Amino acid sequence: MILEYILFAILGLVAVVTSVAMITRPSPVMSAIFLVLNFFALAGLYLLLNAQFIAVVQVIVYAGAIMVLFLFVLMLLNTDSEHAILKEKRKLKFIGIFIAVLVFIQIGYIVFYSAPSDSVTKEIAESINAGKIETIGTELYTTYVLPFLASGFLLLGATIGAIVLAMKKFE
Amino acid sequence: MTANTEIFQLLPHLVIGVGIVLSVVIEISTKKSESILPWFTILIFVFAGAHSIINVYDYQILFGGMYAIGGVTAIFNFIFTIGAAIMVLNAVDYIKKSKMNFGEFYILVQSSVLGMMLMAGARDLFMIFIGLELMSICFYVLAGINRSRMGNTEAALKYFLLGAFATGFIVFGIALIYGTAKSTSIDQIVFAYEYFITDVLFLTGLALFVIGFLFKIAAFPFHMWVPDVYQGAATPVTGLMSTTGKAAAFSVLIIILSAVFTQNITNNFEILFAVIATLSMLYGSIVAIAQDNLKRMLAYSSIAHAGYMTIGLAAGNIESVSGIIFYLTAYAFMNLGAFGVIALIEGSNEENLDINSYSGLNSKSPILAGFMALFMFALAGIPPMAGFFGKYYVFVASIKADLTWLAIVGVFSSAISVYFYLRVVVYMYFKDSTSSIIIKNSFTGLLAVIISGLLVLVFGILPDTLFSIITSVLSY
Amino acid sequence: MIELIYLTILLPLLGFVINGFFGKKIGNEKVIGLIGSSTVGISFVISLLALIETINLPVEQRTNVVELFTWMSVGSLNISFSYLVDQLSLVMALIVTGVGFLIHVYSIGYMHGDKGFYRFFAYMNLFIFAMMNLVLGDNFVVLFLGWEGVGLCSYLLIGYYYDQKFEKGTVAQAAKKAFIVNRIGDFGFLLGMFLIFETFNSLNFLEVFSQAKHLTGAESTFGFIALFLFIGATGKSAQIPLFVWLPDAMAGPTPVSALIHAATMVTAGVYMVARASIIFASAPVILAVVAVIGLLTAVFAATIGLVQTDIKKVLAYSTVSQLGYMFLAAGVGAFSAAIFHVMTHAFFKALLFLGAGSVIHSMHHQQDIMHYGGLKKYMPVTFLTFIIAAFAISGFPGLSGFFSKDEILWFSYANGNFVYWLLGALTAVLTAFYMFRLVSLTFFGEERFSHDKYHPHESPKVMTIPLIILAVLSVIGGWIGIPEVFSGEHGNVFHNWLAPIFLDAELKLAYYGAHSHTEELILMAISVSAALFSMYGAFKIYTQRREIAEKFALKFKKAYMVLLNKYYVDEFYEATVIQPIQKSSEKFLWKIADNKLIDGIVNGTAVVITSFSSVIKKMQTGVAQVYALIMMTGIAAILFWIILSL
Repeated sequence: MILEYILFAILGLVAVVTSVAMITRPSPVMSAIFLVLNFFALAGLYLLLNAQFIAVVQVIVYAGAIMVLFLFVLMLLNTDSEHAILKEKRKLKFIGIFIAVLVFIQIGYIVFYSAPSDSVTKEIAESINAGKIETIGTELYTTYVLPFLASGFLLLGATIGAIVLAMKKFE
Repeated sequence: MTANTEIFQLLPHLVIGVGIVLSVVIEISTKKSESILPWFTILIFVFAGAHSIINVYDYQILFGGMYAIGGVTAIFNFIFTIGAAIMVLNAVDYIKKSKMNFGEFYILVQSSVLGMMLMAGARDLFMIFIGLELMSICFYVLAGINRSRMGNTEAALKYFLLGAFATGFIVFGIALIYGTAKSTSIDQIVFAYEYFITDVLFLTGLALFVIGFLFKIAAFPFHMWVPDVYQGAATPVTGLMSTTGKAAAFSVLIIILSAVFTQNITNNFEILFAVIATLSMLYGSIVAIAQDNLKRMLAYSSIAHAGYMTIGLAAGNIESVSGIIFYLTAYAFMNLGAFGVIALIEGSNEENLDINSYSGLNSKSPILAGFMALFMFALAGIPPMAGFFGKYYVFVASIKADLTWLAIVGVFSSAISVYFYLRVVVYMYFKDSTSSIIIKNSFTGLLAVIISGLLVLVFGILPDTLFSIITSVLSY
Repeated sequence: MIELIYLTILLPLLGFVINGFFGKKIGNEKVIGLIGSSTVGISFVISLLALIETINLPVEQRTNVVELFTWMSVGSLNISFSYLVDQLSLVMALIVTGVGFLIHVYSIGYMHGDKGFYRFFAYMNLFIFAMMNLVLGDNFVVLFLGWEGVGLCSYLLIGYYYDQKFEKGTVAQAAKKAFIVNRIGDFGFLLGMFLIFETFNSLNFLEVFSQAKHLTGAESTFGFIALFLFIGATGKSAQIPLFVWLPDAMAGPTPVSALIHAATMVTAGVYMVARASIIFASAPVILAVVAVIGLLTAVFAATIGLVQTDIKKVLAYSTVSQLGYMFLAAGVGAFSAAIFHVMTHAFFKALLFLGAGSVIHSMHHQQDIMHYGGLKKYMPVTFLTFIIAAFAISGFPGLSGFFSKDEILWFSYANGNFVYWLLGALTAVLTAFYMFRLVSLTFFGEERFSHDKYHPHESPKVMTIPLIILAVLSVIGGWIGIPEVFSGEHGNVFHNWLAPIFLDAELKLAYYGAHSHTEELILMAISVSAALFSMYGAFKIYTQRREIAEKFALKFKKAYMVLLNKYYVDEFYEATVIQPIQKSSEKFLWKIADNKLIDGIVNGTAVVITSFSSVIKKMQTGVAQVYALIMMTGIAAILFWIILSL
């Protein structure tokens, strides 16, 4: 039990730090690498939630396939020129950080105020039983068949959209 | 009934889904796709719309509570499909003149409409989210599809960034709702709403979820993207985003809050919605006065209209839901009509958007001027155009909910708004032309304007035809 | 014929459709004019037959509802396109179609050769359609439909000569001003409607009024309803503070001024107050406000009328002043006197405007009375009819204006107080003065125009015949409302006819002042002789001794300038209302919208984004970030709200 908390703390910290690092690095390549790290931390969190399959998919698909592709593109295009984002507006940056922290504190306050019991989250995690591929498969093709089909169209739409926007770049 | 036969209940969705795939095939296989695709798209839209409205009384829950057809959903589907069909008519010549890659355009429009229909029918948070993403992604791309225009890419990028930002809150809201309600099924959430709402985490989750959709309907203070995106995007696309997109977001808000509307539960968000409605109406109406660019003016007016509809959410009774739905229908057609006229006048590269371009329109094209005047008066809420009854129903609902002050603010704001709608009419009728703008002859564009105009008049003179359907399906 | 009353509404609509859509194709002025006026004429005949049928019914059966179709039903609210045929609506319908028909016929001559001839008739028919909805509708929503419709037509017709200049601005501006001021009034009317619905759960006249009759102790609710409705009335009927649009409305063609801005539309407010008499009677404070506003408007506008030199402007201020009279009557509970004055005023004011139109027509659109003079020998028919109307409006004994005006003055004393009467009588004196100033300067005295430029001539028959008919009506129109002091107990036919409509309101107000007929006769004698003296004075001064008037103007130069500039009300509104709204939109709110202000706060300097050269560059200036920031601020505020409600 204690181990679980320690692991959660470590993984959570890594996830937060890498995501902050990702948006603050001026170099896109560095950002991408931090994103990969972030994905790994997330995969670890999935494991803690008893969702092994999703954890594996997260590593293979996102960290492995997509991000590597992404890195290739970034390196090929050699986008280096974006050093100055956010520099021009220091005050804006501080106001932004202030508001973000404020919202974070507010949500934190609400969460601690309502103090959801331990058992609730536990119950949910176990009820899904998301660890097994079999369970996920069954659910996908019975209860969630419609969202599953709709996701197909979502992917199709996104693909066509990406092509449209990409064609524009090369024209 | 098993899942594999249930799927055939979703005939309109299937038709559009198959249509998307077929459109891809047509686009690849024939050179004539430019002349086939628009009519094919309109055909499937009209079929889907007609099928929905014919089966409006056939209310069914499918896929184990995942999805619903008939009833309110059918009315929304009608708005989406017919609105999109009008928009496609309007876009045919726009696409030709601006040399956009046309095939993808129609496929994206079809996909976005499918997304809206999924949102309106969804009875599960997952389903809503997938529908929302399908619609939004298509919109992001559509907003940036006209590569030849300056500011178009910028609009798309802004829209995408802020849209993704809002989506983040929706997902977070869903997580909190799921965490407290232990279910993503809306039926279950609605069923025990009174119990859940006492949990502050649920309340927060719901609030964040609602905020995400307030972004989509362009309510203050989540409206900031609207003027830039509406101005930057291609005119027919703007028409689609501002009307059906808004309707889709409202369909979700109505479903998720349906416990409040139907079960006489205290509306926790009453003050929130009332404040947002007030600010949206006043902000939209007042800022619109200073606009000379017609698309930008309509963008601010769209914020104000979002405010009027939000009055209905604040009122939180069954009358207000029917009011909102009627309002959305009316707004869809009058706004599409207005954008239709704009698309005909703006010229090949949207250079004639300034209000001066409309001076003396009456002498050049009395038909266009007449319809534009009709749409402007409808938007201003002057009877007997449909816009009046939209506002009227919402105001009446808010009075019934003891929110008379909100109705007063609404009436006040619409009194202000007359100024800038009327300005267009003044330019068209009472000013002589200063520029030599050539209005392109576009049969399809004119047809789109005429159809919207007729619908605005029909819903204004015989509002009961639509209203009786809405009220009777709401009793489910 | 009662059940066919909807034809009186549909026929003008038919005329509008034919002339509006096919008028350009038809082209022939005679055919267009025939369609335009005959639809209104037939409507008049149908209204007349309905009136005869109603007269033959027993008194308690004289209220009939003709339902066309259900318009909408929202919960308990059921609104139909149905029309109320009763004593009041029939009187109004006859005025609208009758005077409307004559003005349509007149317009065939007046608008001859105009390039938008068909357009003009289409708008006029549309106006009659909307006006008939207004007076015949049996619920507030249909009334409101007509209310907005007449506003729209008025706007279209004021702006008819949109390419011309009008005073300091353009005709289009005058039209816009009329529309926007009217919308302010409509704002009040809509609020009143909502409050009525909230209170009575219905918007149907008969239901609301029968409930209002029995409802007691809700004085503040009634007060608010009446106040809001009256704000609506001040907009449409050009009363203080919303009268500013009517003088500018004279930019429209003269028949329009006669029909819309004198005889019919502007009396809609009076009709509405009379229709809702029970509500006003239940709110005595607001009723007093109505009387005071009406009285002030009457005096105020009459004083402005004294110095105006534009023939139509004089008549416009005279209209405002006479409308004030009608509200004074309504305000003291004499609703039938108000409607009576609506009727007589429709006759003689339409006649005055049409006569003025005839003069303007023959003087090549010269409207300044300082450039007229001695016209009586050139246009005898116009002169004769015009002077009859002038006598009628000044209250010359025996003519229509005399009966209606003296009834109002009497009630303002009997139900009100002596000050009401005194100011009312003063207005009558002023009215007589400026009317005869107008008559003298136009038709008498030396000719102050060059014969090279102007060739005054009598107008064609199609214009003079309506003038003659209206002149006859101006003379005899009042004879149906001869006060009891002359006609004996229950001898006032008009009053008896309308009495059932206003019975409830009068019972509620319960004015049973014990005033004798002698008192009435004395007051009448005073006001009439003062008015006669004033007429004579004006005639003398402006035909023979104009230097007196000029000296007077020089001596009281300041007062004269104030009057000439209409008390600077327009300037006052411009500075206090219009400018601030425009400024706040242009200078302040829009800047927030376009981030100029936010940028200014953020950067310390206002960075105006002008460069669209590259997307990234613009992103760097922070527009999208600012947008996201504002969203986040909104979210933070909402979360605060949630936390506070914990």
